[in-house]
Amino acid sequence: MATDTSVAERRTLRTAFSTKDMDGLRRRRALLGYVFLSPSIVGISIFTAIPIVVALLLSLFEWNLITDPEFVGLANYERLVSDARTLTTFLNTAIFVALAVGLQLGIALMLALGLQRAMPGWLRVGLRAAYVFPLLTSAASISIVLTYTFNESFGIANYYLGLVGIDPVPWLNSSPYALFAVVLTFVWHQLGFTFLIILGGVASMPRDVLDAADVDGAAGWRRLVHITIPLVSPSLLVAAVMSFINAMQVFDQPYVMTRGGPGDSTRTVVMGIYDAAFRNLELGYGAAISVVLFVLILLVTALQFRLSTRWVFYQ
Amino acid sequence: MDQSRHRKGWKALLALVALLALVAAACADDDADTAEDEQEEEATEEAVDDDDGEADGEAAADGEVEGTLRIALFTDEDSISDPRVESFNEVYPDVAVEFLPISAVDWEDYFTAVLAEVAAGNTPDLVAVATEGTQLFAAEGLGHPLDEFVERDAEELEDYFDDVHPALVEAMMYEGSLYQFPDDWNAANMYLNTSLLEEAGLEMPDADWTKDDFEDYARAIAEETDADFGYGWTNRLWGSWMPWIFANDGNLFTEERAPGGEWLWERFYAEDPAAEGRGGGWRWEEPTANSPEVVEALEYVVELRDEGLTPAVEIGGGELLEGFFASEQMGMTPAGGFWAGGLAGAGMEPGDFDVQLWPEWESQRHQFGTAGFVMTDDSENKEAAWAWIKHTIQREVMELRPEHQANVTTPVRRSMVNDERYADTGPANWETFYATLDDHPETAPIPAPPIANPMTEAFVRWTQLAVSGAETPQEAMDGLQAELEEILEAHGDQY
Repeated sequence: MATDTSVAERRTLRTAFSTKDMDGLRRRRALLGYVFLSPSIVGISIFTAIPIVVALLLSLFEWNLITDPEFVGLANYERLVSDARTLTTFLNTAIFVALAVGLQLGIALMLALGLQRAMPGWLRVGLRAAYVFPLLTSAASISIVLTYTFNESFGIANYYLGLVGIDPVPWLNSSPYALFAVVLTFVWHQLGFTFLIILGGVASMPRDVLDAADVDGAAGWRRLVHITIPLVSPSLLVAAVMSFINAMQVFDQPYVMTRGGPGDSTRTVVMGIYDAAFRNLELGYGAAISVVLFVLILLVTALQFRLSTRWVFYQ
Repeated sequence: MDQSRHRKGWKALLALVALLALVAAACADDDADTAEDEQEEEATEEAVDDDDGEADGEAAADGEVEGTLRIALFTDEDSISDPRVESFNEVYPDVAVEFLPISAVDWEDYFTAVLAEVAAGNTPDLVAVATEGTQLFAAEGLGHPLDEFVERDAEELEDYFDDVHPALVEAMMYEGSLYQFPDDWNAANMYLNTSLLEEAGLEMPDADWTKDDFEDYARAIAEETDADFGYGWTNRLWGSWMPWIFANDGNLFTEERAPGGEWLWERFYAEDPAAEGRGGGWRWEEPTANSPEVVEALEYVVELRDEGLTPAVEIGGGELLEGFFASEQMGMTPAGGFWAGGLAGAGMEPGDFDVQLWPEWESQRHQFGTAGFVMTDDSENKEAAWAWIKHTIQREVMELRPEHQANVTTPVRRSMVNDERYADTGPANWETFYATLDDHPETAPIPAPPIANPMTEAFVRWTQLAVSGAETPQEAMDGLQAELEEILEAHGDQY
């Protein structure tokens, strides 16, 4: 019926306007569309597309900000694949991402599911706010506070460990502990965002499916794996992609807390870019690393979406 | 029909992009025109300078300097209230002074931020630069030598040079030219918490105390008092474990003096024996990071750490150490005059702490750092920049500097380092500051060649590996040596 009306309206319009008028109308509508799109086009061009192109071009040059840039072709990329320190930053970042994304998704899922349990309204609101609060603070501020917290000699973390008889842990002065401390700081800061995404998914789980699972006696681990996670999987995918991209670009926490140390054990790719471009004034080399990082993020994100067909269930 | 619509859509999009490109091109043309105009104006000004430099100097002295002066400062303050501006504007009313406050963890971060400003085309006229960056700015052509200005206005500068130790001036020279007038300086002396000394039954040590005496003090404070540690230091270039390297007669690089500089020494320091043998600035050419002296110094601080006499070594500017020292959790630490105001701000009374020379090991050679304004080579208002430098090094104007009023650094003028200055903040033994230069003429600036930024990053990183136990001191210094050689090879000739 609606279709018939629509066809009738179109016929009426055709009789009312000539083809020329229709073309003019379409042009005006198209133009209006571009006008609406133009802020986004301009914004993306200035802040995304142009910098990407500039970084690509810059990666082919040697430039120290002071003297004129010199074209060096692919020399910066050749250097990158043979630079042990830069390769270490990629390895560190991979370990960091695996730990940070895994912890974020796991903890956020647990917290979101925990909030579904019966509890007073004020407690639910209070917990929800508490989980998100760290996100409202700057990463640098949190990192400074946690640097003091993790101080080996005077930090509160070792103070409490000492109360239960555990020797001081060199949180920031030993390679494995330092990476772990930085990951914890990152996860604590970013958790709120992942939590919110997953909470949305958990809250929209269909009641009838959960009730049916209850009737069938599904509980505990089996219920989590076979019912809950599949139902929340679309939200988990979004959270996984966002967390991955965020973690790949981590800078503030290791920079403030360890400066990438001890040695290079917490030096991430973005710290490597910063050091190359702005400390050593090798802008071309820094740009080459950033291009490789960009391509890596692009490929892994595409792979995440590709693989999602195997584990994400859309209702 | 659809294809036609798409084509039209693409045409519209292309038109939009073309429009944007035209706007951008128009802006670029405007910029280019402006740049050309500015270049022409600059060339004209330079020609005038060349023809009649003396007259310009007189004009400057008459207060005819004008324009805007942008000054980059290393500060945590967002807005700077500096009484020197008012004083400056009384003499130069037509110069507007704008500060560019830059917050950073340490000097190398600050230099990075300044270089980013330069790259963005916002080069300040003056940049506050410490020893860590003097040669970086000079060697890369970012700084402008002050020789012509100094020679032109020599008479006005005599009072300054009479009052400032030549070692501080020499530290601001590069290849025979003077790039900065030191405004403040700090040598790494030893600060001692006198309350903890008293608790441990110790007296303030004498100026000729030794490394063994120091160790006894550290052990007594850690064992006989409530303090957790006898001594502490932070991982950076100035301070850190560098004083032990110097006292062990070592350095990260070979040291020699560049030729030149006679024009300055003969004009201003002809009668001063402390100026004898000085040259045109320091050259740090060949890395010596794994020399026995340096390795031994690192082994020593690692031993102190292993014995529990020092806390875990952190990276940074030293705020954490200041807190530990002020709260009587740590007895001794390397610091300069800048700590007097800091400790007073942390609630310590003048009698709660004191300062002494660094203990003698192979020698009692100290290290120091100094700072002043670099006039940028790209500055379009060099006369105003010079006027600021010349004005702010006057004794009465230097007294106005907020950092000197708060005692958070040491004035370069000997006459300003006096009892009155330290009466409210301490230390009682303030004479130590200038005695570091007077009694130990071998005292020298921290090594800060043009490659100071990557050098410092490498130095801190390899130090971290040694103090964390991941590498032995010898392994860490071998690693640092190899990396410094690579940095030098990539950089090319520094001098």
